[in-house]
Amino acid sequence: MIAVDPAPDTLAVRAGVLFDAFRNGDRARMGELVSLVTPILWHTVRAQNVPQSSAEDVIQAAWLALVRNADAISDPRAVLQWLVVTARREAWRTVKAERRVDPQDFEADDLIAPTDAAPEPTVVREAGQSALWNHISQLSQRCRELLRVIAFADRPDYAMLASALGMPVGSIGPTRGRCLAKLRAQLIADPQWEV
Amino acid sequence: MSDDSMPSIDTLAAAELDVDDIATLRRVAALYDLADPVPDGLVERIQFDMTLDALHAEIAKLQRLESELVGARGGAEPGATEVQTVTFTSPSLTTMVTITPAGAERVRLDGWAAPGAGVRVELRTEGADRTVVADEDGRFVFDDVPRGLAQFVLRSGTDPAKPPVITPSIEI
Repeated sequence: MIAVDPAPDTLAVRAGVLFDAFRNGDRARMGELVSLVTPILWHTVRAQNVPQSSAEDVIQAAWLALVRNADAISDPRAVLQWLVVTARREAWRTVKAERRVDPQDFEADDLIAPTDAAPEPTVVREAGQSALWNHISQLSQRCRELLRVIAFADRPDYAMLASALGMPVGSIGPTRGRCLAKLRAQLIADPQWEV
Repeated sequence: MSDDSMPSIDTLAAAELDVDDIATLRRVAALYDLADPVPDGLVERIQFDMTLDALHAEIAKLQRLESELVGARGGAEPGATEVQTVTFTSPSLTTMVTITPAGAERVRLDGWAAPGAGVRVELRTEGADRTVVADEDGRFVFDDVPRGLAQFVLRSGTDPAKPPVITPSIEI
């Protein structure tokens, strides 16, 4: 097993603390857990190209599943991972039900995704943002999904989240991994890009 | 694999995450927050649903929506002037509510729950929540209610351990 840091203050740890308190009878902590974790679940689900309204249902379903299965989660620190896995599975089911998807889209990591697979940025104002958007769009669907989700977490959680997203070990954390390496190489090669 | 100035992807991938990576990921998060933000109200809606779920509430079904002026429906402003009756059913309770227009953007709600003697009826609207107690026949009234989404939560007046009955939200 990977050595665990002595309780760093990360999204996963904060979520675990709230969930533990909820399970021990402090019911109000669930509301805080919802506001803490819903953003990363939103990006997890939307990264799978689930339409906006279905994405809301998917996330709602994941939270209800958590309440109903609260006692089945042995380690409260795993609650973030559990929610991401559940939301992603539910998203996958929804996408499959709504339209036929070529499974290749979700497996071939090195393919350049077709441009229509990238969600449209509706409000990208600064030049830097649109450059970053273009670089992200050149990554594969899987890499975009990984980077989008881990961007909403803290560094010690990256490896756990990558595994929750079904990525191979070493996809990110403690090393950079290939997805972020590709983005970094593109940014280095972009003379317009400033760190 | 690489040119003179650029480390290969493999080299970059095998290196430890550094502060530049973290800075880039922060910008990625900011970008997605801008391009595809969490919808307004989603967190609140989930919190509300979970409160209900935690109560092990009984969810009532909207049984029928009746209008006394059926022929007048389908206009641009359905419900603006007509009296409507809605019925909610759940295993333990049937609730009927008549919605009567009462001035601009206001309605009066006359309800009847069965079995409903002493049932505490909570009306949830966007502005505020109000609670009344049904009389011995299970009748209850909410006066001067603003139009909009409304939902009822009915709780037993005698047995606090009994799960509440929650209706779906309806447009009144």
